[in-house]
Amino acid sequence: MNNFIDYKLIELGQWTVGLFNDYPVVQILVHLLLATLPLTLVFMGAFGFSTWLERKGLARIQNRLGPNRVGIFGLLQPLADGIKMLLKEDIVPDRSDKLFHFLAPVMLMVPAFIAVGFLPLGDGLMALPMDSAILFFFAVGSLNTIAVFMAGWSSRNKYSLLGGMRAVAQMISYEIPLVLSAVAVIMFSGSLNAQEIVASQQIQSWLASGNLVKEFFGQILGWHIFKPWGFAGFIFFFVAALAEANRSPFDLPEADSEIIAGHLTEYSGFKYAIFFMAEYISAFAIAGIATTLFLGGWSGPVIAGLPWFIIKMFSLFAVMIWIRGTLPRLRVDQLMGYAWKFLLPLAILNIFVAGFYYFAEQQFGSLAAFIGGWVIGFGILQTAAKGLSRLNKSPTLDGKRVYQLVE
Amino acid sequence: MSLIAKGILQGMAVTAKNFIQSYYKKERLPTVEYPEEKSTVNQFTRNIPFLVYDGEDEIEGMRCTACKLCEKACPPQCIYIIKDTDENDKPIKRPKVFDIDSSVCMSCQLCVEVCPFESIRMDSEFELSNENRFEGLLINRDELLKSNEYYHEIHPIEAQETDDRIAAKIAEAETKKKAREEKARLAAEAKQAAAAMKAAEEAAAETETSATEQAQQSEAKAEAPEDNPETKNT
Amino acid sequence: MTVAFYIMAAIAVLGAVMAIALRNVVHAVFSVLLFFSALAGLFILLLAEFIAVVQVLVYIGSVGILMLFAIMLTTKVTGDPTRKLLSRGWAWGGLVSGALLLAFLVPLITQSKSESNSQLSNFNPSVKDLGLTLMDPYFASVGVIALLLTAGLIAAVVAASSASGE
Repeated sequence: MNNFIDYKLIELGQWTVGLFNDYPVVQILVHLLLATLPLTLVFMGAFGFSTWLERKGLARIQNRLGPNRVGIFGLLQPLADGIKMLLKEDIVPDRSDKLFHFLAPVMLMVPAFIAVGFLPLGDGLMALPMDSAILFFFAVGSLNTIAVFMAGWSSRNKYSLLGGMRAVAQMISYEIPLVLSAVAVIMFSGSLNAQEIVASQQIQSWLASGNLVKEFFGQILGWHIFKPWGFAGFIFFFVAALAEANRSPFDLPEADSEIIAGHLTEYSGFKYAIFFMAEYISAFAIAGIATTLFLGGWSGPVIAGLPWFIIKMFSLFAVMIWIRGTLPRLRVDQLMGYAWKFLLPLAILNIFVAGFYYFAEQQFGSLAAFIGGWVIGFGILQTAAKGLSRLNKSPTLDGKRVYQLVE
Repeated sequence: MSLIAKGILQGMAVTAKNFIQSYYKKERLPTVEYPEEKSTVNQFTRNIPFLVYDGEDEIEGMRCTACKLCEKACPPQCIYIIKDTDENDKPIKRPKVFDIDSSVCMSCQLCVEVCPFESIRMDSEFELSNENRFEGLLINRDELLKSNEYYHEIHPIEAQETDDRIAAKIAEAETKKKAREEKARLAAEAKQAAAAMKAAEEAAAETETSATEQAQQSEAKAEAPEDNPETKNT
Repeated sequence: MTVAFYIMAAIAVLGAVMAIALRNVVHAVFSVLLFFSALAGLFILLLAEFIAVVQVLVYIGSVGILMLFAIMLTTKVTGDPTRKLLSRGWAWGGLVSGALLLAFLVPLITQSKSESNSQLSNFNPSVKDLGLTLMDPYFASVGVIALLLTAGLIAAVVAASSASGE
């Protein structure tokens, strides 16, 4: 009953499609447009808003004011930026691979928008309602790598190529812990379907009870993040997601102090803007999938559905901004070591913990499994993390730091 | 590092504190939005020299005597002075032209150090940009002249010190002058007395006591003005 | 459905031909990727979602990247334009390979035609069914493959570490 916004939207869509009952070809087109156009427009708007949010948030963290000249609180700044980008000259390097130089931003944007289509925005609100949506999301996400490599290779610039290589290495490494931490959720829910994963995070018996208090908490307490393996998995997933989306502190491919702008070095004007848009939309997509997997998707008290999903997604994005304002960039070897020597073993261990939790819930009931899981399961993960960090400790960092060039 | 990295959380707490406090604490958001707000100037700001004048009239109250010491002291040589003349082509102690090229001035304050008349001082004006980069940046005498009240307004402590110094100088000059006058007067009186003595000698000691009385009285008078407290306080 | 099939098939053929014909190796790899993605689209048309996902994830996401990495290490990306791509007896080779293809394909096509469509109509493929099939009747083979792959992985790690270590 309380996700009426989703039902109203679906009704509106069905009514619009129903208008074209007499023209089947047009109806198909309208159906396609209804599935894609609002999503595209909304996420492009969200991109504009999030650039503003990021600049404002970072400014406040650094005790500055941020953009405040265009519109109230600088809210029209993204528009001004967009116009500026459109009017700029589009420079293509003379010896670059012209076709690939042109194709790379497109190649990056298409998977970003496809990935957004796999997000369960609300009850039944999904642009691409596929049976294995989660898996498809990760598959499409891996296409980003190719586009970034394309951009880096086609620019014929050493910084571009270095950035491209870094991006490829980073994305391949972090895709594994990303998927493995999602596997725990998929295993627990027993489905690759995004809607079913969301449904598994609602306590169905409480929702059907008719008790208002139970209905309220039934929408919250089932979220996977409240379970020990879900909490750990969320941390792994979020860290890997930051790396997948090239966000700080894993923004090595675009490390401007080291390799200018990485694969973006030779891009200007609107192509650059498209790159940025694709990056932000992938960040949104990955925040959305983290919401779906661990934060209960669209489920939430009072106004379940689209509003809750947007709130959660934007909160995760705000945390990304917060992290960007806090943490310094990693070194390349640290980045790789972190993925392979720390995240990957823990993510695999987390799958086992999730499996044991699943059987414990069936054997001893959910409350006992919950308490035991937090005590034992989380304890195991914590100990493993401590042991791994001790094993991975670099020998030079033991005791005093040694500076080669000083003294 | 364990599963929940404590160091990272501490760092996040610091940035969160910065973020939240920037909305209500002034020291977390020190930005001054310049064209609308101008609170950056305090009384120790010194940017470009100006000329001080006393009283109401710019020309009459001008302290500058066109001694050209500042012109010589200026390292980038941005000061240009021509002495004024009266109707008879006789130079007077006042500049006819006093230009400072603000594009050359490096705000070193050496002109202020060297000025013996406390005339040239540093201004806190910083909006010197101009549409004409040649004549517009050359500040001439009439633009440079600013009243002593203005000086008090921008640099109150320094202006008061300067005023005290000038007053002390005037007082010193006055006492010296008075002392000199007194000396002259005494000398004159002594001459008179001598003349009187001569006359008395000539008059052959008939009224000997009256002459010595007169000399004693004049001595007492000469001592009196130095004890007067008014001369010290002016 | 048919239109989509023809478009996809055309893209796939185009990608495959370009992969052979292009002289620039990187371009060739990208046309292979184009072929792979068209193939993924064809799988979706056949309602084989999971195979399509695997096609994208494994072939485009991993194999393609691997090829790109390998090519990045080569110094000469563009081939020698004076050399011919086709050898003298290419027509015979084409004939033989076409005949082989037909010999394999024709029986399959005729077989699928002979089966009734009623079986297809209540055929609803899902990932769950696929997983159950893999885990129940074919568990032994899956397990053996997994073991082999793990052994290969460990062997690779050992080889790499002994080469660099010492």
